[in-house]
Amino acid sequence: MTDFRNEPFLELRRAHERDRLIAALDAFDAAPPIEVPVIVGGERRVDPTAASVDPGMPDRVVAAATTATPAEVDAAVEAAGAAARVWGGMPAAERAAILARAAGELRSRRYELAALAVRECAKPWVEADIDVCEAIDFLEYYSRRAVLLDAGPELIQLPGERNTLHYRPRGVSAVIAPWNFPIAIATGMTAAGLATGNAVCLKPAEQSPACAFALVEALERAGVPAGAIALLPGEGDVGAALADHPGVHTIAFTGSGAVGLEILRRAAEPRDGRRHLKRVVAEMGGKNCLIVDADADLDDVVPAVLASAFGFAGQKCSAASRVLVHERVADVLSERLRGSLETLLVGQAETFGTDVPPLIEGASRDRVERVVAEAVQAGAEAERVRRLPDGDGFFSAPTVVFGAPPESFVVREEIFGPVVTVEPVASVDAACDIVDAQAHALTGGLFSRNPRTIAAVARRTPVGNLYVNRGTTGSMVGRQPFGGNRLSGTGTKAGGPDYLLHFVEPVVVTENTVRHGLAP
Amino acid sequence: MPDTLVTAAAPPVDLEPQLLALGRELSERRSPLHAATRGAYDRAMALAASDPQLRAALFRLVDVAPACAGSAELAEHLAAYLEELDEPAPPVALGTRAATSPLARRATGRVAATLVRSMAGRFIVGESVAAAAPVLGRLWQRNTAVTVDLLGEATVTPAEGEAYARRCHEALISLTAASKAWPERPLLERDGIGRLPRVNLSVKVTALTPLTRAEAPDRGRLDAARHLRALLRRAKELNAHLHVDMESMASRELILELVLDLLDEPEFADGPSTGLVLQAYLRDSEELLDRILERTAAAQRAVPLTVRLVKGAYWDHETIEAAQNGWTPPVWTDKAESDRCFERLTRRLLDAHPLVRTAIASHNLRSVAHAVAYARHVGLQPRDFELQVLRGLGDDLQDALAAAGLRGRTYCPVGDMVAGMAYLVRRLLENTSNTSFLASRASGSDLEELLRRP
Repeated sequence: MTDFRNEPFLELRRAHERDRLIAALDAFDAAPPIEVPVIVGGERRVDPTAASVDPGMPDRVVAAATTATPAEVDAAVEAAGAAARVWGGMPAAERAAILARAAGELRSRRYELAALAVRECAKPWVEADIDVCEAIDFLEYYSRRAVLLDAGPELIQLPGERNTLHYRPRGVSAVIAPWNFPIAIATGMTAAGLATGNAVCLKPAEQSPACAFALVEALERAGVPAGAIALLPGEGDVGAALADHPGVHTIAFTGSGAVGLEILRRAAEPRDGRRHLKRVVAEMGGKNCLIVDADADLDDVVPAVLASAFGFAGQKCSAASRVLVHERVADVLSERLRGSLETLLVGQAETFGTDVPPLIEGASRDRVERVVAEAVQAGAEAERVRRLPDGDGFFSAPTVVFGAPPESFVVREEIFGPVVTVEPVASVDAACDIVDAQAHALTGGLFSRNPRTIAAVARRTPVGNLYVNRGTTGSMVGRQPFGGNRLSGTGTKAGGPDYLLHFVEPVVVTENTVRHGLAP
Repeated sequence: MPDTLVTAAAPPVDLEPQLLALGRELSERRSPLHAATRGAYDRAMALAASDPQLRAALFRLVDVAPACAGSAELAEHLAAYLEELDEPAPPVALGTRAATSPLARRATGRVAATLVRSMAGRFIVGESVAAAAPVLGRLWQRNTAVTVDLLGEATVTPAEGEAYARRCHEALISLTAASKAWPERPLLERDGIGRLPRVNLSVKVTALTPLTRAEAPDRGRLDAARHLRALLRRAKELNAHLHVDMESMASRELILELVLDLLDEPEFADGPSTGLVLQAYLRDSEELLDRILERTAAAQRAVPLTVRLVKGAYWDHETIEAAQNGWTPPVWTDKAESDRCFERLTRRLLDAHPLVRTAIASHNLRSVAHAVAYARHVGLQPRDFELQVLRGLGDDLQDALAAAGLRGRTYCPVGDMVAGMAYLVRRLLENTSNTSFLASRASGSDLEELLRRP
């Protein structure tokens, strides 16, 4: 097996690559909406009752999804349990080869899949392409790591005994995926479960069923056996039924804190007939701070703040939400940020050059607007982009909030929209105190040109991912394993060398090799 | 290196004898004037070139200097950079110790600040056009033309774009006024095609617009067009030359299309004199030249386009970006490939005379000698092509060119310390790279080696 390398992004600075994407989108638009089935034990049932729409033009139906019934959830878990024994019994290298083929399936459809993410989730092209690449990366990376893991770690060996440690699949994994990285995160959690020999029941976000369906199709074509992968579209009740199911051993969840905590709570409750502890891998929200020291290069800070706070309209758990800036440069930075807001193009995801696309749905837009209005009522000043596209897309103006009271909602809570606060601080230490007082600890940023400051912040920060002298988003598989601490998550690192350990159970076998005092 | 490439890169006739003679002549003519001031600087650069970590520390110091409030803060940074060295050189270790007591720290900081200022002074002509004007006048007097580049912070707001455009207008006006007092210099003022403006301003498109988006060149192009159009009008009115610099790949399409489109507009059919830049380190630079020549031929402007041929200043940036994104680097990875490409492009450009005016911008003695030899070979007079150098890097070459009766122009950055740092770091990087001409000079490589066919 070759060494892992990240899938190259499309070189979108070249016109011919952009033309290919436009052509892929035209082809996508010319086809009827995608019919997303329920897939249980390899059987498909198509009876669309729900639709995903283009957030930039809500009249446009992207996919018509079949909603999984409670009986289908039961059947899927049962089939998965049976399939897990076959799939889990297969040599790790064979599973890895199948997953690598699935990566190849995604790779061969990358233009079309990027177009799908543009339409179903309003991911602008650059980010849509990154989403496809990350999905490919997860398959390639986890399949390699699973082969390495299968060898088991070294144990101390003394004469007369043989000690071995093997990792076994836990059984059935429930994957509950979000819409914000509609292909990548669904693929990551699913690939981790499959690579380690678990069967996976995937419940995609109701906003992005077609992206998840594309993944399942790729897995099926690559040779993942029927039953080892199930697709269960639906709303929260389907996810809850799946997570609650006694036949599920591991729950991999990425989404809101409220849902994550509920999953953790219910997973801990003993249920009838259950003979195992459920393990939960949860990746939840963040309230991410970007610290700007007095010696920072503001030429770099401004674009980094714009990209981190407003990229994909702030709908990333890694998005920068608070800029904590040294008071010596606070005025200059604030002035430049104000001015730079005008440079942001709020527009349709399909338009090359769009900086801020619409939010995923109307409710999100309304929530963000409420947060901004409340901040202004509380005495804050909100600088907003003035030009928004016409039409009924779920657009929300990128906003920089100055002077928000420390206890206000906009300062304390995750917003998941294009809003960032700017707060002057007396020192980097003071900024670290603020970060330390938060319940969330997902990503953090630091702009400083003093190596001592960088080392000091790295030592004391509670966040899972600290980004220095760059933006706070855009982690790469294998290079920046991603995941938060505290209330942001279970401390697991997607795309990192130890992620797969959450999907396996260690078994140690110790054999006495002494016979009549003789050891081989 | 494979033989086939050598053959492909070789000129159609054997220019080597003339080229070597020219190279020796230019080398001998290099003025001893600058040698006196160069000793300490060269030693510092040689030290930096020999130790990559030290070099990084030095660049970081230069980079952070304008953001530091006072010498104590600068010393604190210097100490932190030196701590990061694996094995500090003896004088460096001393610096670390010296930076520990508050009093010593301020003293170290002052020394460091002086060092950075003196480096900046070497590459940057003055804080403003007014401050730079006397220097530019002296260069002109010594038979060297100039082009002025206004340094600035990155443009991230529309207001910053406006401000840069305004500075460009003001520079054109004040340079025009200053240049009236300059004495006549026939070699610099007319070539076989026509008049050459005294005033020559180099502009950066990414400073005119905050909307550079690699995946959407039209956004920046449309925004920058209104500023650049106004500047072209101003240049035309003042009979000045406007040269549009090339930068990284993120803005390449934007700049190329912007300039070629604007020059197609009827009002610019008869002026002003305008220029573009071609970067030889790009693997596709020959196709870019095809595009430039085709569009220029079609435009049929009265004043020919000037093409400044450079090697390219963003090699590290392009290479790193490509590696991080999994792309084939857009630049040649082997310096010799860039050098061979530079010679191919030189010949093509000189062949295209008088459709385009050619400016060869290089401190590589071989590249310069090659250009001169080829120009002679195709029958061009010295006035019919230009040779450009950078202030602070090519000062002695500039004098040698003038002494040899060649038409030279020096690229003169103007701006304050804060604005100048990014430029300064790029120049220092160039000056201390192992493969640079100056590094080879410092290490005493002999002339034949410098003039060897790449």
